[in-house]
Amino acid sequence: MSSPLLVCYVAVRMPASRPLPTLALALVPRAVALNLALGAIAAALKLPVYLDSVGTILVAALVGPLGGVVTGIVSNSVLGLLVSPQLFAFIPVTIVIGALAGVAARLGAFRSIPAAAAAGVVIGVAAALTSVPIVIALFGGVTPSGTGVITVALRAVLGISLERAAEIASLSTDVLDKPLSCVLVALVIARLPRHLASRLRTAPPVRP
Amino acid sequence: MSGALDRWNPLTPLAAALLLVVAAYTGPQPWSAVAALAIALGVATGSGMGRRVLALVSAVAIPTVLLLLIMSATSGDASAAGAGAGAIAIGSARVSRAAVLDALGVSLRLGAAVGALGWIVAGVSPRRLTRALAERGLPAWCAYVLVASLEAVPEARRRAREVQDAQRCRGLSTGGGVPGRLRALARLAGPLAVSLVTESEERALALDARGFDPRRRRGALAPIADRRGERLARAALWLALVALLAWRIARALRGAA
Repeated sequence: MSSPLLVCYVAVRMPASRPLPTLALALVPRAVALNLALGAIAAALKLPVYLDSVGTILVAALVGPLGGVVTGIVSNSVLGLLVSPQLFAFIPVTIVIGALAGVAARLGAFRSIPAAAAAGVVIGVAAALTSVPIVIALFGGVTPSGTGVITVALRAVLGISLERAAEIASLSTDVLDKPLSCVLVALVIARLPRHLASRLRTAPPVRP
Repeated sequence: MSGALDRWNPLTPLAAALLLVVAAYTGPQPWSAVAALAIALGVATGSGMGRRVLALVSAVAIPTVLLLLIMSATSGDASAAGAGAGAIAIGSARVSRAAVLDALGVSLRLGAAVGALGWIVAGVSPRRLTRALAERGLPAWCAYVLVASLEAVPEARRRAREVQDAQRCRGLSTGGGVPGRLRALARLAGPLAVSLVTESEERALALDARGFDPRRRRGALAPIADRRGERLARAALWLALVALLAWRIARALRGAA
């Protein structure tokens, strides 16, 4: 688990001395809202994915790792305040997602669909490995969600340990969810007005 | 938007909630979790938000205890343990007493944490909480992002419904197999995401036009009241929280040695 956290630390530490540009700050609230709205659309379409990180990944891809981390923290804090306090526990997971998506964007992962899907797999694995210790320490290994049901089913069918079952359940959902989220982000970036995408990538920080 | 705990400075219920969360997880089990849950629900009921907080607690704690019990009843190792003395029958399955106590312990801790934080969800206006944090030094950009996010969420829900309705009018099918629903997802998510991103450009222009400074601390026309007694109570709460954490760490270190 330490490697994704180290990558996140290095990615975020570099630009942390300067604030986000105004355009990025204005984008973060819309991305938080997008996380919630797409989560609701995925549920309405009865898709076996959450899609509640698309906004976080989008900001990370357009602004960089710091933007992704800020969006992740704000997203789970706001949804924790509006929906359920249990979401506060998963703030570290959103930090990992935002930071890794920002790093992936710097490596050019959102320029093509296959590269975005591959980045999604890496982000999904890291997110799953980050969430498992939280789920085990705070929830006893199962969350009241589809992932919890998969954990119970895996233990019943395969007879494996709780930790391994929780890991496989988290991996199976995140490795499906995050590549799809990253592909959606790549499609959205391709549809954005050119001037806006380039402004977000190169906007200078606001100085007093 | 007003909250049931508006007579307090929002930082006071926040400090009390965090103390209860830490107490539920670090104190002697299961009594600290039971006490934290009782206090959380008692305060919520006394403040007129008992039903909302109870609903939040139930939505997390009840499915968790059920899943943990089902897991204990259906997994091979627990069945073996359940065959011993003191096993409890749940329907046709048998679960060991230790597994039942473990499941209850996890749910109690979780319920106490959700119940305590439920005060903030149900009783504190998020905008007021952000203002109180800004008065304590939260940078302007953080306060802006939090408040704007809270305001953007209902707007995005409305727009998501509009996009869904508009695409259905154009003949979009949201049923059928997974490939069809994925195609529908792309047609729904694309316009929503693009419209939200392009809108942020207008917001940024408005912020720049008003001379928004992300680093400066914001003043308040009507500062949130913070009585001396409340400040002292909050200091005691923070002190108790630190003491509890220090005690837990010291205990863990002694155990490791």
